[in-house]
Amino acid sequence: METLNELLGGFATAMTWQNLLFAFLGCLLGTIIGVLPGVGPVAGVALLIPLTLNLDPAGSIIMLCAIFYGTQYGGTITSVLLNTPGEASSAITTIDGYAMTKMGRAGAALTLAAVGSFIGGTIATVGLVAAAKPLGEMGLLVGPPEFFALMVVGISLLVALAGKSMVKALISGALGLLISMVGIDPVAGAPRFTFGIDNLMDGVSFVAVIVGVFGLSEILSFRRNEPTPVVHAPGFRQLFPSRTEWRRSAPAMARGTGVGFGLGLIPGMTGSVSSLLSYATEKRFSRFRHELGKGAVEGVAGPETANNAHANAALIPLFTLGIPASPTIAVLMGAFLQQGLTPGPSLFTDHSEIAWAIIASLFIGNVLLLLLNVPLVGLWTSILRVPTPILTAVILVFMVIGAYTINFSVFDVYVMIGFGLLGLALRNLDIPLAPMVLTLVLGPLMERSLRESLEISQGDFTVFTSRPISAVLIGIGLLIICSPLLKLRKPKALMEDPEA
Amino acid sequence: MTTESVTTKTGSTIRVARGVLAGIGAVAAVGIYVLVSSVSLGLWTSLGPGAGLFPFAMGALLVAMSAIWLLQELRRPSAKGEGVDKGVVISIVASLVILAAVMDLLGFQLSMFAFLLYHLKIRGRRAWVPSLIIALAGSVGAFYAFNYGLNVALPVSAFTPLNLIGL
Repeated sequence: METLNELLGGFATAMTWQNLLFAFLGCLLGTIIGVLPGVGPVAGVALLIPLTLNLDPAGSIIMLCAIFYGTQYGGTITSVLLNTPGEASSAITTIDGYAMTKMGRAGAALTLAAVGSFIGGTIATVGLVAAAKPLGEMGLLVGPPEFFALMVVGISLLVALAGKSMVKALISGALGLLISMVGIDPVAGAPRFTFGIDNLMDGVSFVAVIVGVFGLSEILSFRRNEPTPVVHAPGFRQLFPSRTEWRRSAPAMARGTGVGFGLGLIPGMTGSVSSLLSYATEKRFSRFRHELGKGAVEGVAGPETANNAHANAALIPLFTLGIPASPTIAVLMGAFLQQGLTPGPSLFTDHSEIAWAIIASLFIGNVLLLLLNVPLVGLWTSILRVPTPILTAVILVFMVIGAYTINFSVFDVYVMIGFGLLGLALRNLDIPLAPMVLTLVLGPLMERSLRESLEISQGDFTVFTSRPISAVLIGIGLLIICSPLLKLRKPKALMEDPEA
Repeated sequence: MTTESVTTKTGSTIRVARGVLAGIGAVAAVGIYVLVSSVSLGLWTSLGPGAGLFPFAMGALLVAMSAIWLLQELRRPSAKGEGVDKGVVISIVASLVILAAVMDLLGFQLSMFAFLLYHLKIRGRRAWVPSLIIALAGSVGAFYAFNYGLNVALPVSAFTPLNLIGL
């Protein structure tokens, strides 16, 4: 009952006209980012953080969350109409989605994907409401050693699952941690890796690094004379699925919700894994599995439901334990920290009103996206007709403004350029970028909890093994990192993860 | 205009490409630098862990991983990479560096206008009218939208004459 009251209070805050406007703008921008090939959700969310700098914390996070799950909706449009995923978690939708387009059923595919996304997202948000309080209270009992161990598990999972080589994933993770350590050491007050540059005393700007590594490096990897795609939006009447299509989609959406919600809770699992596993589930359990690959609605409804359920479920570890489950959530966590909010159990005690307003806005955002996504498909596809040089120029403007406005200094523009080149080099060397963003955000928290733990134990490292929870968690982390030595094989779906 | 492939074939022998070797070398060099610097920061103090402890662990990890990566490459070189369009990289990076260098002097509006015009008209070969409209929207339009709409101040020119006319 208390949870329901708090949720209703959250709705009251989220439904002020300002916050509704922020949710609407976030959904709009998120869908555009999802539609645009080349600007993924990680860079997209980071790029738009400056827009929210002067907003109040609730409005700012509401807008960024809306951008985040808006990308999940938007990515579907190009998958279905162009056979090109707007973002990685919609890659599997191209198979049956594009086949449906060739059969003249593009409108139905887009509607079913949007409805599935709505159902998956909404059910996962209900899960967040149910889990928030109990998990948050449990999280308050966690001390520095357990918190450190929990972060070790989260990072280990992401490192183990990202890319094909764990060695390269560890390099990426270590680089992220090192970048996070630049600046004045919070305990001793000594400058670290600042090279005598005053601008680095406060550390490297998180937004400049993310925009550079994820956004600019993507633009730098574009090629000249890339053709502008030819795309035809379905008419209004074509948007309605037939009764049979609805009937066939319902079980696929139910299975997709289960898969996406379950995997969203596990740090390191990306939305792509959820949609891939959902497709695999359809191949095994659907009554119409023989039609998959030839334009089966289950191949669209299942994965699209799964990736949205995943996106919202991935917020549960962030809200309750302060652990980001994916790179995009890590960027969101960075935005929380910039607004003076620390995600985790203390969020519900220190900023309860804001926390519940954000949760309530997730429900509102899902409704807004359902209303915006399908009827405006013509508008979204028109964005794709914008020639690449114009898109590139516009995105570069946002990148420069984004980097500059964090500290109102051109130094951060140089930082963005430098990290753009680093990102390009890492891409060319096949080093995954996801571990870097996670460790970049978690680095300061991880170091602080390590040092607090060692101060509590007066330098005794067995503090991590003598406490049962941290011992178990450290054991799990070591097992994950040592999995290549133990010849533990990654599931096939993870090997095919395009996000990794 | 693409960079060399990641693996290089010479006759029948396959060897590690220079780009990959450079990458491994760079990671190892960063690791060694961090190891050395973190020792001077102090690994342990009378109060507990020093400022250098955590970086030391990361430096050691980088050195160890670069060594394993080298061994892996020697045993089985990586598959061919896609490479990059050097022309695109140079033109974007150079224009961004120049933009950053002049933004505080000329102000956001003038420098961004020139930047956009370069990318639209010269690099993108778009027609004059759309190039000018987009360049104006992205410079003057963005300046006013951020300054007055979002209360986010973008830089104005350091030159008084330009400043006086609102640039």
